[in-house]
Amino acid sequence: MIRNWIGLLLSGLILLACREQPSLPHASLSVAGALRTSSDQGYAKALAPREFHFPADHGPHPEFRTEWWYYTGNLATAEGRRFGFQLTFFRSALAPTAPERASAWATRQAWLAHFTVSDVAGKRFHSFERWSRGAVGLAGAQGEPFRVWVKDWTAEGAPVFPMRLRAAEGETAVDLLLQEGKPPVLQGERGLSRKGAEPGDASYYYSLTRMPTSGTVRVDGQSFTVTGDSWMDREWSTSSLGRDQVGWDWLALQLSDGWDVMLYRLRRADGSADPTSSGTLIAPDGSSRPLHLADFQLEGSGEWRSPRSGARYPARWRVRVPGEEVDLDVRPLLADQELDVSFRYWEGAVSIEGTHHGRPVRGQGYVELTGYAAPPRRQVR
Amino acid sequence: MSLLWRSSLRYLLRHPWQFGLAVVGVALGVAVVVSIGLANASARRAFTLSSEAVTGKATHQVVGGPAGIPDTAFRRLELEGGIEKAAPVVEGWVAVPEKPGSPARTLHLLGVDPFSEGPFRSYLGGAAGGSRQGQTSIDLGPLLTRPGACVLAAGTAREMGLRPGEAFTVRAEGAGRRLVLAGTLEPEDANTRRAIADLLVMDIASAQEILNRIGRIDRIDLILDEGKAGQRALARAAAALPPGAQILPAAGRTRTIEEMTRAFRLNLTALSLLALVCGAFLIYNTMTFSVVQRRQWIGTLRALGVSRREIFGLVLGEALAVAVLGTGLGLGAGVLLGRGLVRLVTQTINDLYFAVSVRELAVPPSTLALGAILGLGATLLAALVPAVEATQAPPRAALLRSTLEARLRRSLPRTALLGVVLLAGGGALLLPRSLAVSFAGLFAVILGCALLAPVATVLLMWLLRRPLGALLGVLGRMAAGGVVASLSRTAVAIAALVIAVSVTVGIGVMIDSFRQTVVRWLEMTLQSDVYVTAPTRSGGLGGAALDPRLVQRAIALPGVAGGHTIRRVAIPSPSGPIRLVVMGGDPRSIEKLYEFKEGNPARIWPELWSGDAVLVSEPYASRTGAGAGSTVRLRTEQGDRDFRVTGVFYDYASDQGVVLMSRPTYQRHWNDPSISGFALDLTPGADPDRVVERLRATIGAERALAIQSNRSLKKISLEIFDRTFLITSVLRLLAGLVAFIGVLSSLMALQLERARELGVLRANGMTPGQVWQLVTSQTGLMGLAAGLLSLPVGLTLAAVMIYVINRRSFGWTIRMELSPRVLLEALLLALAAALLAGLYPAYKMARTSPALALREE
Repeated sequence: MIRNWIGLLLSGLILLACREQPSLPHASLSVAGALRTSSDQGYAKALAPREFHFPADHGPHPEFRTEWWYYTGNLATAEGRRFGFQLTFFRSALAPTAPERASAWATRQAWLAHFTVSDVAGKRFHSFERWSRGAVGLAGAQGEPFRVWVKDWTAEGAPVFPMRLRAAEGETAVDLLLQEGKPPVLQGERGLSRKGAEPGDASYYYSLTRMPTSGTVRVDGQSFTVTGDSWMDREWSTSSLGRDQVGWDWLALQLSDGWDVMLYRLRRADGSADPTSSGTLIAPDGSSRPLHLADFQLEGSGEWRSPRSGARYPARWRVRVPGEEVDLDVRPLLADQELDVSFRYWEGAVSIEGTHHGRPVRGQGYVELTGYAAPPRRQVR
Repeated sequence: MSLLWRSSLRYLLRHPWQFGLAVVGVALGVAVVVSIGLANASARRAFTLSSEAVTGKATHQVVGGPAGIPDTAFRRLELEGGIEKAAPVVEGWVAVPEKPGSPARTLHLLGVDPFSEGPFRSYLGGAAGGSRQGQTSIDLGPLLTRPGACVLAAGTAREMGLRPGEAFTVRAEGAGRRLVLAGTLEPEDANTRRAIADLLVMDIASAQEILNRIGRIDRIDLILDEGKAGQRALARAAAALPPGAQILPAAGRTRTIEEMTRAFRLNLTALSLLALVCGAFLIYNTMTFSVVQRRQWIGTLRALGVSRREIFGLVLGEALAVAVLGTGLGLGAGVLLGRGLVRLVTQTINDLYFAVSVRELAVPPSTLALGAILGLGATLLAALVPAVEATQAPPRAALLRSTLEARLRRSLPRTALLGVVLLAGGGALLLPRSLAVSFAGLFAVILGCALLAPVATVLLMWLLRRPLGALLGVLGRMAAGGVVASLSRTAVAIAALVIAVSVTVGIGVMIDSFRQTVVRWLEMTLQSDVYVTAPTRSGGLGGAALDPRLVQRAIALPGVAGGHTIRRVAIPSPSGPIRLVVMGGDPRSIEKLYEFKEGNPARIWPELWSGDAVLVSEPYASRTGAGAGSTVRLRTEQGDRDFRVTGVFYDYASDQGVVLMSRPTYQRHWNDPSISGFALDLTPGADPDRVVERLRATIGAERALAIQSNRSLKKISLEIFDRTFLITSVLRLLAGLVAFIGVLSSLMALQLERARELGVLRANGMTPGQVWQLVTSQTGLMGLAAGLLSLPVGLTLAAVMIYVINRRSFGWTIRMELSPRVLLEALLLALAAALLAGLYPAYKMARTSPALALREE
C-alpha cells in the first residue's frame, strides 16, 4: 500500500508556492508545508528483501525516514447499521541523526495521525488530524508490548493481540478490539515493495489483512456496539515514489469467500500507470500471490466532484484479475469521503459485488485516491 | 462688523509680544499634554501588541510556581486531560550585544512546540495552514534538530545584518549562547510585524537549553470553548495538572500587567495637565490684560452701538485665534516631543514594571483630538472671564481707570473668599481614595491658591513698601505702589506666575523628598558589604537563579563573616502575579534591614522564622488592603495556602509590593532550592574590594554573575531611581519653561503698556537711568512676589502629591524634605524672567523721546 505521498510530504516534499526569491525567504512555522525536501543521505534504504521479525517489526524503524501504521475497517451494528473507520499514524524523521540534547523535548521525529469515521446511515464523513513531536511521551511507537500513539489516539497490544484502537475527537470516537486474524502478509518481493525504477525507490511493506473487530463507534455523541473486520498496513521507507508519479489509486478489498485483494496503480503525469504498480492476492489461509501490472485491470468510472477542492475523483471501479477469475464492482459507501485535513485526499469505505472463481461474492474494503486534488508536485532544489 | 474685526486685528498686530508669547504658552501646554499622551499610548500599544503576539489566541493559560511547570504536565494535560488545543511555552529574555551597524537589543525568546502552535499564534503559521502565496515555509528539520536554531522577524534579521543560516551570539541567563538563524517571519499585516519585531522564536527544546530550564516549561496556552463544554474541559485540565499549577484566563494576564502601570501613566497625564493649566493661566492673563488695556476703546465701541454680544464675540474670537494657532503649533511640537519622551517613559516602565520596547511613536488621532480639545477648551475657558468682563464696560468712553481699580480692590475680599472655598473644596476632594478625584482636588487647590494671589500681593507690597523706600527712595516706593495701583493688570499676572512657578516647586520638592527617602531606605536595607546576584533583566519578575552551593563557597572565603540569601519569584494569582521575596541565612544579617510600619518587631521575627507567617511591604499593604493580622493566599506546590501577615515593612523597591517569607517556610511549600542572589557580611577590617575580586576569581568565572560592593549597588540603585524620575524632571522643566514665558510675556506687556505713564514721568524730568531703575525694579518686584508666593503654594502642591497622590498611586510613605535648592531655583526662575522682561521695555522707554511717547495715543 502506498500512503507515500503523505510520507513524502512529511519527509520532504514541499509545495513551494513562490518563485525564486532573491531576498530573505520569509516563512511560517507551518508544520504541514514546512517539512522541506532534504536529501536521503544518512537514512537507511529499502534496497533488498529482509527478514521480518514479529512482534519487533510492529515497532518503529527510526533509521528510515518515514513509517506508518495504517488501520482501516468496515463495521456494522447487530441491526446492520454500517460504519467505516480509518486510524493512521505516520512517523517522519526530520533529520537522519541528531546531537545529544539536554532537553527532553528535543527530537528528530515528527508524528501525524488521521482519524475518520464514515457514518453510512447518517451520510456523514468525519475526519480529524493530529500533529505531534515524538518527545516527552506525546507520540511514539514501540514493538513490545506493541503501542503506537499520537497524543491520546492510540493503538496498543497486550502484548500484540488483541490490539486496542482508541481515538476520539469531539463527539466522534472509536474504541475497538482487533483480534489476530490472518498472519502478516509480506507485500511485493518478500516484503520489499518497489515504487520506482531507481534502487531504493522502495519500501518494506507488510499487512494484516483481516482482523476480526468488535467495539464501539460514537458519532454525534451516540454510541453503537459494532463488529466487523479491520486491515492494517505497515510500511517504512526512505524514498519511494518515482519522479513522474502524480498520485495513485489503492484498494484493500475483503471478499465474502475469505480472500483478500490489495492493488495499487501509480499514476504518471501522462495518465499512464507506472510499471511498478502491483498488488497481492491473499487466500483464506493467509498464503499470498503477488500481482504485477500485467496481471490485473483497474478501471475507474463515474465522477465525484469535491465541493471543497473542486477535485474530480472516480466514483466506481471495476477490478479484474483474469488469471484468478476475479471480477469485482467496487462502489463507495458514501460519495464524500474526502479528508479535509492538511492534505486533501479521498479515503473511504467501499462495498463490493462480483464473482470469484465463477461464484458470486460480496465484500467490503477501503479505497485511497491521491493526486486528484492539487497533485503534490515535487520540486527538488 | 468687518471694521470691528479689523481694529481687533490691528490691536493684535500692535502687540506681537503679548500674543506671540500667549500662543507659545498654549503651544507648550498642548505639546506637553499631547507628547505625554502619545508616549503613554505608544508604550501601552507596544505592550499590548507584543503581549498579544506572545499570548496568541489563547483563552486560558496554565502557570506554575517559581520553578514553572514540569515537562510531564503537558503530556498529562493532552493524554489524560484530553485537551486538544494546548501549546507549551518556554520564554525568557536574551540580550544581543552591540556590533557594528546594529545596536544592542533585548529579544523576547519564545520557545514553542511548532506541532501545537496551529490554533494559537497565527504569524507562526498553523499546522493546517500550509504555505500561502509568496511564503516559503521554514525548514522545520533544522529548527527542531539543530540546537540553538531560531527564527526572527524578517525586519529584525535585516537590522541585525543576519541571513538565514548565519550564526550569532546572544547572552541568556548570564552566559553567551550561539544561535543560528533558521528562517525569518514576514507577516502580511503591519501590526503583527510590529508586534513580533522583538521576538526570537525557537523550538521549545532549544529554548529550554538556552534559558537553562531543562525539564520545566513556563506556561501552557489553552484554547477552551465557551459554555459547558469549556467548563468540562477546564475541570478535566485542572484534574490532570499538578497541584502547583493553576489555570488563569489569558486576558487577565495582559490586563493585570497593564494595570500595574496605570497609576504611573495617570500621574504622567496629570503632571502634563499641570503644564496645560499653566498655559491656560497664561491665556487668562493675556486676555484679561488685553481687555483691561482696551477698556476705553471698548467703551467707545459700545457708545457707537456695538452690542454686548458682539464685544463678547470679539474677545472670544481673539482668544480663538490664539487657541487655534497655539494648539496647532502644540500638536506639531507634541508629536516631536513625544518621540523623545516615549524613550523616557519606556525606560521607566522597563525599570519598574516589565520589559517593553517601543520602536516607533504611535500617533492615534484620538490623542491628537484630545490635545486639540484641551488646548482650545482651556484657552476659551480662560478667555471667558475677560470676555464677560469686557461686555460690562459701560457705553461711554470716559470711565476712569481709577474707578476700575477701586472696584477691583473692593472685590478683593470676595475673590479671596472664593479662593478659600476652592481650597476647602479641593481639600475635601483629596479625601476619597480615588486617584482621579484626588487629582481633581489638586487642581481645585491650585485654582484656590491662584484666587488668593491678589490679596497676598497687596499684603506683600504693603509689607515691602517701607523697606523698598528705604533702599531705593521714591522709585522704590513708586515701584511697590505701582504694583498695587494697577492691580487689575498685575494681580492676574502675578496669580498666573505663582501657579506656573509653584508647579515646578511642587514637582521639585516631591522628587527630592522621594529621593531622600529612598537614599535613607537604601542605607538601611543595603547593610551587607558584598552582593552577588544572578544577571537578570531589569524589572524582571525574578526568574534568573543561582546554584545555592555557590553561597557555601563564598562564605568560606577569607574575610567573610556570614550573610543571607535572597530569592525573588513571582507567584501567579488570579489578580496578577504576587512578588515573593524569600530571605534565608543568618537572621542577624537580615533583621537589621527592615523597619516596620505595622506589627511588633519583637514578635514579628520569631514568628517569621518559625511558622507559616509572612511580611508584606507597604505598597503591597496599601494596594491589597493586607495588614498585620490578615492573611495572604499563595498557590504553593500543594495547592492554595493562607499565610498570616505579621507585619508591614517600608519598601521602595516595587510599587506593586512584595510578600516576604523565610527560607524554611518557602521550602516547606515549594520545591525550589535555587536563589536569586546573596549578600555577604565581612569581618571587621576586611576590604570589600578584595573580597569582590576573590569572588570574581572563584565563582564569578563560571557564570557572568553580578558581584557588587555595597557602595556600587547603592550607586546603581540611585541611578535607576534617577532614571525613572527623568521623565518627571523633564515635565518639571517644561512647566518651568511655561512659567518663564508667562513671566516674560505678562511683565513685558505690562511695562510696554506704561509707555504713556513713563512718558509723563520723563517729561517731568525723570532721567533714562531712572526709567531703567523704575521699570526693572517694578518687574523685579513682581517677579519676587510671584517667586515668594509660589513657595507656599508649591509646598502645598508637593504635600498633596507626596501624602495623597503618591500614596494612592504607589502606596508608599515619603518623608517630605524641604530642599533649599528647589526653593531657590523657583525664586531665581521668577526673578530672572522678571528682570529679563523689564529689559526691553526699559530700553525702549529710555530711548524714546518723551514727546513721542506722549503722542503715541
